[in-house]
Amino acid sequence: MGSTIVSGFRHTLITGDKTYHQITEDLCRPAEKVPGLAWIGAFIVAVSVMSFGLFAIGWTIYYGIGTWNLNRTINWGWDITNFVWWIGIGHAGTLISAILLIFRQWWRTGVNRAAEAMTIFAVMCAGLFPMIHMGRIWNAFFIFPYVNTRGPVWPNFNSPLLWDVFAISTYFTVSILFWYTGLVPDFATLRDRSKGLRKYLYNIASFGWTGSAKHWQRWESLALILAGLATPLVLSVHTIVSFDFATSVIPGWHTTIFPPYFVAGAVFSGFAMVLTLMLIARKILHLEDYITINHIESMNKVILLTGTIVGVAYLTELFISWYSGYVYEQFAFFNRATGPYWWSYFGMMFCNVVSPQFFWSKKLRTNITFTFFLSILINIGMWFERFVIIATTLARDYLPSSWSLYSPTWVEIGIYIGTFGLFFTFFLIFTRVAPVVAIAEVKHIYRYAANQFRERNNIGHGRACENDVPDHDSDDFNADHSDDHHGGESHQQLKAEEASVARKAPVTDTEVRDNLKKIEGIGPKVEQALNAAGILTFRQLSVAEPGYLQKILDEAEGNFAGNIPDYWPEQALLAVEGKWIELKAWQDKYKHGRK
Amino acid sequence: MNKFTIKGKEKTVFMIMMGIGLLSVVLTFMTDSLPGKARFWSNFLHEALFFTGIAAMALFYMSTALVGYGGYMSVFKRVLEAMSLQLKLGIAFFLIIVIGLFMKWHHLYLWADENFVANDKVLTGKSGFLNPVMYTIFTILALGSWYFLASRIRRASVQEDEHGKFGDYTFTKKMQTYGALSLVTIGYFSAVGIWQWLMSLDPHWYSTLFAWYTASSWFVAMLSLLTLIILYLKGQGYMPYFTKEHMHDIGKFIFGISVFWSYLWFSQYMLIWYGNVGEETVYFKVRVDHYPVLFYGNLIMNFVLPFLLLLPNTTKRMRGTMVFIAVLLLIGHWIDIFLMVKPGVLHTVQELSGAHEAVGEHGHEASSFVSGFTLPGFLEIGTFIGFLGLFLYTTFIDLTKACLLPVNDAYIEESIHHHVV
Amino acid sequence: MSKKVIFGLYSTEEALFSAIKKAKGRHLEIDDVFTPFPVHGLDPLLGLKESRLHIAGFIYGLTGFLTAFLGMSWVSTIDWPNIFGGKPYWSVPAFVPIMFESTVLFAAVGMTVTFYVISGMGPGVKNPVLHPRITDDKFCISFSADEVGEGVAESFLQETGAEEIGSKTI
Repeated sequence: MGSTIVSGFRHTLITGDKTYHQITEDLCRPAEKVPGLAWIGAFIVAVSVMSFGLFAIGWTIYYGIGTWNLNRTINWGWDITNFVWWIGIGHAGTLISAILLIFRQWWRTGVNRAAEAMTIFAVMCAGLFPMIHMGRIWNAFFIFPYVNTRGPVWPNFNSPLLWDVFAISTYFTVSILFWYTGLVPDFATLRDRSKGLRKYLYNIASFGWTGSAKHWQRWESLALILAGLATPLVLSVHTIVSFDFATSVIPGWHTTIFPPYFVAGAVFSGFAMVLTLMLIARKILHLEDYITINHIESMNKVILLTGTIVGVAYLTELFISWYSGYVYEQFAFFNRATGPYWWSYFGMMFCNVVSPQFFWSKKLRTNITFTFFLSILINIGMWFERFVIIATTLARDYLPSSWSLYSPTWVEIGIYIGTFGLFFTFFLIFTRVAPVVAIAEVKHIYRYAANQFRERNNIGHGRACENDVPDHDSDDFNADHSDDHHGGESHQQLKAEEASVARKAPVTDTEVRDNLKKIEGIGPKVEQALNAAGILTFRQLSVAEPGYLQKILDEAEGNFAGNIPDYWPEQALLAVEGKWIELKAWQDKYKHGRK
Repeated sequence: MNKFTIKGKEKTVFMIMMGIGLLSVVLTFMTDSLPGKARFWSNFLHEALFFTGIAAMALFYMSTALVGYGGYMSVFKRVLEAMSLQLKLGIAFFLIIVIGLFMKWHHLYLWADENFVANDKVLTGKSGFLNPVMYTIFTILALGSWYFLASRIRRASVQEDEHGKFGDYTFTKKMQTYGALSLVTIGYFSAVGIWQWLMSLDPHWYSTLFAWYTASSWFVAMLSLLTLIILYLKGQGYMPYFTKEHMHDIGKFIFGISVFWSYLWFSQYMLIWYGNVGEETVYFKVRVDHYPVLFYGNLIMNFVLPFLLLLPNTTKRMRGTMVFIAVLLLIGHWIDIFLMVKPGVLHTVQELSGAHEAVGEHGHEASSFVSGFTLPGFLEIGTFIGFLGLFLYTTFIDLTKACLLPVNDAYIEESIHHHVV
Repeated sequence: MSKKVIFGLYSTEEALFSAIKKAKGRHLEIDDVFTPFPVHGLDPLLGLKESRLHIAGFIYGLTGFLTAFLGMSWVSTIDWPNIFGGKPYWSVPAFVPIMFESTVLFAAVGMTVTFYVISGMGPGVKNPVLHPRITDDKFCISFSADEVGEGVAESFLQETGAEEIGSKTI
């Protein structure tokens, strides 16, 4: 058990005085009960929309890319816009899981599972677009480098489009591994609660998970390393997507800030989508105790941060285009703001740069309706951004004679809408078969973040500057506190923790409670009095001062004149150490608990 | 021991360092035969940028923790506070540069030469931004706002020691607000500042990523200096609560930001290499051809070595290894900034002295060795030691002004019992 | 090969820890410990060695890196040399993205597969589950009946306050 000292300045992340079992119940319920009308309705709509999308895709493949409005000048339109948009949305899952894990932001546990699922579905939607755009989709496997009979013909390793293939397939694979490995223990929980066919299926899904200590150790190690790998990976994916543009010499595309700026934009839009989805899921699946207003506020802060980064990047681009003294570059930006697609530029600026600034206000940050509204606005804004970069730039290239305009056909719009259907279909299925909130991970942070531990975890030591030194010598800086490490509490910490518990009363937690009556001299009445004062365990009793105990007795109702607490801590220490035989011997030796 | 006092011996060492610095600066000035004392002034600008950047990034790092509930930092945040206060040195350094700009003491910036700008179409176009007045305005805005916020955070933090109470988070909230403001001002002004101070040394060249790249270089340098200061204090028996756990965390940051720096380096280099637009490639062309040792050394010191050394978990918990890496990276990023400053200044010298006709655009002759530019010489190293001594001296003075342990910090107990999971 | 295990369920981490400490004190060999979530501080107490998964990961990653680097180098200089965009055949900066992706892919897939194989897990594998509440809220210690003896194990579990005691042949 780790050190559970948590500053009172931190927010509670699990509300409602849950026990471990209640957490299991609450989080398994959506996957176990019969779906409600809202779910069924949503599912029907999602599947219908998806079907329309599939129809539009079929239409494209049958009649060819000519059914789209792409032309000689604007050869990337809605397809690549949507591709980049979906890929961007697919960044939040890994960000929440991996980067926030590394930065120890505990609030991630409320939303990471759903965000990871979202990532996978979003990447699926994204991957569709370049595949269809190839035209001859049945030859799509040509993009992989394999020994072939087409002469020694290899894909072009210098092409950013091929880098994309590697980046996205790697990202998809690693996201699935990461997500599924996290799901395995939770599938085991579902397995052990179910019967019949469900048990059979969950047994397959849970890979034979038992919860053995060694397995947990390896599982944690794996999760941490996958997080370590996923962090640069998630950066690389949108970086490489940005290379698709930035390696060219097209004004407005060839700019070095693109890699980090695309990544920030991706995180920004991904968080917006997570918010949109989780605000709904939270309501429908009754997860308010696990996705609290504090989670929402934290996510809104990330939105504000990434929105500002994106803002800095927009302004940098804009400024440097002027600064460069390069007329084509200057024109590209002039055209974005005042050309035929000016509305998309202003839409982008407003939704992405201006609107997140509302989140400086704590009131708006914690307003769920406003957050929902803004998250949708940002999703739209980020779509505009990609449209600005792609279509607006292409529409006005070096040769005015080939300038052109572009608007999508129903087929292109249909495919885009269809991907929403695909996304929501998968997401809705996911909410029925797997816990939307990671059960084991929520239990893991339970002691730190549940509301009933709030008081107890926040300890004040009354430190003073002078002569405040730890128990152990500072010289053993390089020695390995194997005992101290991995959260085995140092004695001093234990003392501080317990003392603070003793100081504060009453603690509502009913889980940790020893039978104090085993101490000679403590009866049911005394136990009650001690419990009321916050002393629940042998450990707490063992570090209490006898004088303090006496004070508790004096202040408690009832006559405790015969109860002398002088030797209770001594006995309790034996109990803590599990020396029951010694305790018995002690009690036999000193009758009535007195020396 | 949490109350820091400077020993006489330490003062002596700093004085000696500053003496070495002063001697180097004077010697540089006297021996500098380049027009406009270019070696002397570029050394000064180099050090000014390096140490101002370190102070600014200390504020940035501290602010990320204040805003992001980074509790582990409390046991060493006083060191960061003291480092961020050295923005006052930055203000002094840049005051000299700014005055020099108006008084024509130096010719670091090609755009400051009216005659040249008048005959150069590109620079004429940029003159709305690249001129002494704008330079002054943005320098004041950037350094002024940062120093203001750094001192506000420091004030709230010190006040909390005295007036803070358990369970009272007024000061914490105050610091959080200042922290958020710091992030924004650093986010915006560091970009403008870096364009003015550094990117405009190569006035024709531009790269949108440049500001972030430079900032990440500063960040690693700051973390390295932070590590060295903390481990020194630790060695003197101060900061008893700073443990291997905290060092491990700083080690992870050094690793992560080093990789991030490499990522930005690659992004900038690769895109310019790939696009192959003459106006952009010239920047790297000069550096690869004429500064190969520094160019490749930069990558080895700042990416390959820290990556391999910090990859295993154990090395981040070893004091010796961490000291080695911190020294390596401090020098590595000093060289990185050197490589950003010197070629541009040399080019300015050649342009202004009309030498580029003689040296030739193709630059075969330009590859000849120029003391203090092609490689850092003894005088550059001496100047560095002097500035480092000054920075450490003023930092240590600020360290004495408050308890090393922020006793009433909201996260102090968390931080003391911090364990890397 | 089947063996009989005696197990007891505890409902708090504290109870689990004190029982393990006590078993250690009495030199009772614990067969295994099962928990509903990763409990920190358990590994050193049980004397579990640090997982070496990351070393395997490093080797997989290196393999991926070399595969991509050598493969692309061979293709673009020997097997199918082509000039793209005026760049040399062997243009390393352009190889970096794929080298990176391949490193990550090999490391992640290799490590995950290794994890499941060494832990004896996989789709449809049926490992014995001692009690359905272990994946819910109970902490479990199990003893091997042959090693410790049924009576000793049971009385130990009882004494340390196990809520439920059972046995299972696995």
